[in-house]
Amino acid sequence: MPTHAAEIGSPAVRSLSRRSFLAVAGISVAGALAACSGAPTGTKHLRLSSWNIPLDLETYQALADEFVAAHPGTSVAVEVTTGQFHQWFITRLAADLAPDIIRITPQQIGRYAANGSLVDLTGAVPAEYQDDWSEPFWAIGAKADGLFGVFQHTDNFITYYDKRVIEQIGVDVPQTLDEAWRWDEFLEIAREAQRITGRYGFGYGWSGPETAYRWMPLVYQNGGAFLGEDGETPSMDTDAAVGALDFGRRWYADGLVSPANMSKSGGGAVGRDLFTTGQTGLLLDNPEAIAALDEARPGEWGTTYMIRNGGEASDLGGNALAVTRSSKHPELAAELVAFLTSRTNVAEFCRQGNWLPARSSLDAADIGYERHEATMQQFIDQAATIPLSMVRAQSGPYFSSLNSVFADYLDLCFLGELTAAECGAQMTEAMRSVTTR
Amino acid sequence: MSPHGETLTVPGTPTVVTDPGSGPAARSTSAGTTTRRRRARWAPYLFVGPAGLLFLAFSLVPIVIAVALSFQDTATLGDGAWVGADNYRTMLSDPLLRTALLNTLVFTVGTVPTAMAIGLALAVALNRPLPGRGLLRALFFVPMVAAGVVVGVIMSWIFNPDYGVANNALRAVGLDGLPWLTSPRTAMMTLVLVVVWTRIGFCMVIYLGALQSIPSELREAAAIDGASRWQRFRRLTVPMLAPTTSILLILNVVFSLQAFDVIYVMTGGGPGFSTTVLIQYVFRSAFGDARMGYAAALGLLLVLILLVFTLLRQRATKKAEELL
Repeated sequence: MPTHAAEIGSPAVRSLSRRSFLAVAGISVAGALAACSGAPTGTKHLRLSSWNIPLDLETYQALADEFVAAHPGTSVAVEVTTGQFHQWFITRLAADLAPDIIRITPQQIGRYAANGSLVDLTGAVPAEYQDDWSEPFWAIGAKADGLFGVFQHTDNFITYYDKRVIEQIGVDVPQTLDEAWRWDEFLEIAREAQRITGRYGFGYGWSGPETAYRWMPLVYQNGGAFLGEDGETPSMDTDAAVGALDFGRRWYADGLVSPANMSKSGGGAVGRDLFTTGQTGLLLDNPEAIAALDEARPGEWGTTYMIRNGGEASDLGGNALAVTRSSKHPELAAELVAFLTSRTNVAEFCRQGNWLPARSSLDAADIGYERHEATMQQFIDQAATIPLSMVRAQSGPYFSSLNSVFADYLDLCFLGELTAAECGAQMTEAMRSVTTR
Repeated sequence: MSPHGETLTVPGTPTVVTDPGSGPAARSTSAGTTTRRRRARWAPYLFVGPAGLLFLAFSLVPIVIAVALSFQDTATLGDGAWVGADNYRTMLSDPLLRTALLNTLVFTVGTVPTAMAIGLALAVALNRPLPGRGLLRALFFVPMVAAGVVVGVIMSWIFNPDYGVANNALRAVGLDGLPWLTSPRTAMMTLVLVVVWTRIGFCMVIYLGALQSIPSELREAAAIDGASRWQRFRRLTVPMLAPTTSILLILNVVFSLQAFDVIYVMTGGGPGFSTTVLIQYVFRSAFGDARMGYAAALGLLLVLILLVFTLLRQRATKKAEELL
């Protein structure tokens, strides 16, 4: 009787084994290739990609499952947008593998609407939808040549304060938008806050170079704009814009804000970290700070409206939903976008994720936030101060590139490398090289 | 000759079968020999085939596409307009490119000699019998295997001016904290410091291997001839390490020119433009500014710089070896 080793080692068995292996490998590869090719199975499959926020992913999937239940023969998978957005999206578009629907910020949508990467949703979204969006929020997706996305939710800035610090200062907190602190009042309070904390007065809610635009509302609060009325002419060298830059420069020159709390060279959400750890008395930030504050300092903080000067403005945060040109089922994808942005579903999405609704008819009570309903209503009220001209400029075709310019020059100005006037002039020149490209 | 008595062949050269057997028995196996010979002819291609295919798919084809892209104006991939040499002309008058090139030079000069010198010093120190030598070698090498993004995030915390370990340590000994990453004057120095830290383990390991290959007889002979420890190091060890130094130099320069992740995470090229190096500028042009054609042209400039440097270094090494 041959030994087991001899059986294995015999040429016949070795040959058979090799052939079997190759056959199995061949079948496996063919199967894998067939799977990758997306061979038609009769089911219309959609992919929706969102930022990696677990609660949102769950809500999208739950809503998508409702959609699928009402649309037999369809399926929807929720995916995560990974890494740097433009790198991720451009390479997938090039491979024609972009998801059917993407969650995209107002600052990112303009480039892709202009270069044909997004599908025109005109006619696919119910006409009456526009009536429930403010003009600025509808303008995020609505361009001259079509509707390239529907704004789903926003998350603008208001002012957080440390109750202990404000009590010690003895200042009344604004209760309405009309009472919001003006710049000079705010700086005075911030100086007092700095004295009490022993470190800094306040923090600003940047979280990286891609969020440099979050400072732009200050320009509009001062009556300026970073692009002219034509939406193309850079205007950061006007008196109003230079005045805003000078205001920002004073934050750092006077030591009211940490130099690490900067959009480009800062280390992430530094402003939020400093406020959470009691090293600042005030924070200008969006609702995303609430979760961290509830965990670190429950009951020790309050909120009031965003600061203002001659005018009012707040950050344009949030996301739209858009259909990409890679979609094999654009009509169905557009239908899903309309479903997700229905009044009921916007309310559900905002309730689950603590977001602010893009729909004007929804207030905090309608949504039924589990916590901080008054604060969420402040955010919703503040959203009405976001100017249309800023929205048009930020959701325009140049903005993704202009944002890099803002990140570069805000650093240089605020760190004292450039005066406000020099910064305004150089920034305008750099912006011009983008808009005339 | 192989251990089995067959001459290994390369395609295109005459094959000589040196089977130790001869006569009728050998003739009867001629058919099998021909099959083996045919297999032997294809074997080298089969061995290099997978690597060749990978090189073709992931190196050569992308380079060709990049060259084509560099003559186009396009915000995305695949649908550009041909603009001739416009992108290359733009490079000549681009002030940010000049800044990026200068920063790249500063970064490379700051990181490469420092990492190599410290790596050599550590290799010499750890080449001697020391307690815990193995552990120390491993500890110095750990930063090299850590992911750049992880290193970048951790270092951002360490060098945070408000709550970072670095400034807390300085304050603990009565010194003022430094604006490590928040000043255009210190950010590049901090990056150099971090990158050197990640790279000294690699240099150390390569130098350790080279040191151990130097015959001990040479050192002993030099010692008998009266050479001091420094003279033995300067006149014997360093020249014997020349080929290793050459390879390390090329590798380190390539690493420095390609250093992206740590810089991207720690400074994003800022404050201002103070740490924007060429590879950062390529990425920014491609995905931040949506200028794929221009980014491809910048990428080819980077390739050209690497190519010129490698050729120069190869010539210098050849001359050094001739002198030896």
